[in-house]
Amino acid sequence: MDESSQINRLKNGDKNALYALYDKYSGALYGVVVRMCRDKELSEDLLQEIFVTIWEKIDQFDPDKGKFYTWAYRIARNKTLNTLRKTDPLIQKEDMGVYNDIEQEESAHNYEALNGVIKKMEAHHQKVIELVYFKGYTHREAHKLMGVPLGTFKSYVRQALVQLRANYPLTLFFLSMCLDVIDHG
Amino acid sequence: MDRKTILEKGLLLNYLLGELNAKDEELIESALQEDKVLRQEFQKLESDFERMALENAIAPPQRVKSSLEKTLTKYDNDTPVKSLSTSSAFNPARLLVAASLAAIFALTSFWFYNQWQTAEENIRVAREEKEQLQESLQKLSEEIQEVNAMYAQLNDKDVIPLLLKGNKLAPDARAVAFVNHKSKSVVVNPKALPALSEEETYQMWADVDGEMISMGLLPTDKDLVALTYIDKAESLNITIEPKGGNDHPTVERLISNIYL
Repeated sequence: MDESSQINRLKNGDKNALYALYDKYSGALYGVVVRMCRDKELSEDLLQEIFVTIWEKIDQFDPDKGKFYTWAYRIARNKTLNTLRKTDPLIQKEDMGVYNDIEQEESAHNYEALNGVIKKMEAHHQKVIELVYFKGYTHREAHKLMGVPLGTFKSYVRQALVQLRANYPLTLFFLSMCLDVIDHG
Repeated sequence: MDRKTILEKGLLLNYLLGELNAKDEELIESALQEDKVLRQEFQKLESDFERMALENAIAPPQRVKSSLEKTLTKYDNDTPVKSLSTSSAFNPARLLVAASLAAIFALTSFWFYNQWQTAEENIRVAREEKEQLQESLQKLSEEIQEVNAMYAQLNDKDVIPLLLKGNKLAPDARAVAFVNHKSKSVVVNPKALPALSEEETYQMWADVDGEMISMGLLPTDKDLVALTYIDKAESLNITIEPKGGNDHPTVERLISNIYL
């Protein structure tokens, strides 16, 4: 079953549609959440909360504005960052302080290691994607963490996005576009 | 906002991440609606990130899904149950709370009543003690006044102390009489007189022109005894008399006398 009809069923209160979307995206969202909060137990609670929110707020999702996963990612990111700020308002600052130890920490937490195309990128490009996407830092926070000026950081981001594009063949994009067009009818 | 600005500032990524404020978000959304090229650019960005996220997926434990299913089941059932329970007229939990509050109120009231009664009793006792103390104080001050008066009498420069020694009948007997002719007073210290039986007492007499006039009794348990001053007395005499004293002295039992 395609995604848009799953979403329509979800909007009509079909829990099985939610579980199907869970099967498809829970791993990706859990990957983001667990890298952000570095606490498996908390991440599990958050993941459940994220899908409850999706269930409650699916009516607010507008497919014309973007993909379901993008919408779900925003929910996951906001919920996780809000929880972290509530539990420890200094957590972001602490992370900044121990930035030099991040490499060591990553080896300690295997789940934080990144896979796929991003691994083929240059280290600083990997880092910017990791910081803004998987750690939830704003550009202003992230450039300080990397110790580069904001302008340089933004350049790194642009370059990283280009690399990401180059590594995902255009054909795939068109294929997915075609699928989307078919889905939307 | 035009395409060039949006792309140069990298705002599509900020929009994707959900970092923009409401106003900028609205601007980007309307730009995306109007600009097909920009829309395609955003769709590519979404696809790239989705793919990257799927590549970096971490399978959550099965218990999360089970817990989610459980939560959603409860979620479904919760609403009607809640409304029923709130509309219910009889609520045992509320009754329990009310009963507990009443019990607490009753207990505290009883406790306060007890405290009040105890306090009242304490006040009553304290009042009684205070009255007793006042009585004792008054008694003491009266005694002090008496003693002071007597002391003043004894210390008066006009006082003549007279030692009455016992005769053959009572060779160890001693008494001291303090006579003041100016103030016309007599005080006697009878402590050194030998103790008598309960049926007897010492009595002092003044001899005026051969007639013995009673000056008063001399109880030996007192330090000082004030007696009646008799004018023109020629001598003082002590006799042993029956309890309560006598109208006439028993001369046979005269134990001491002194001439003035």
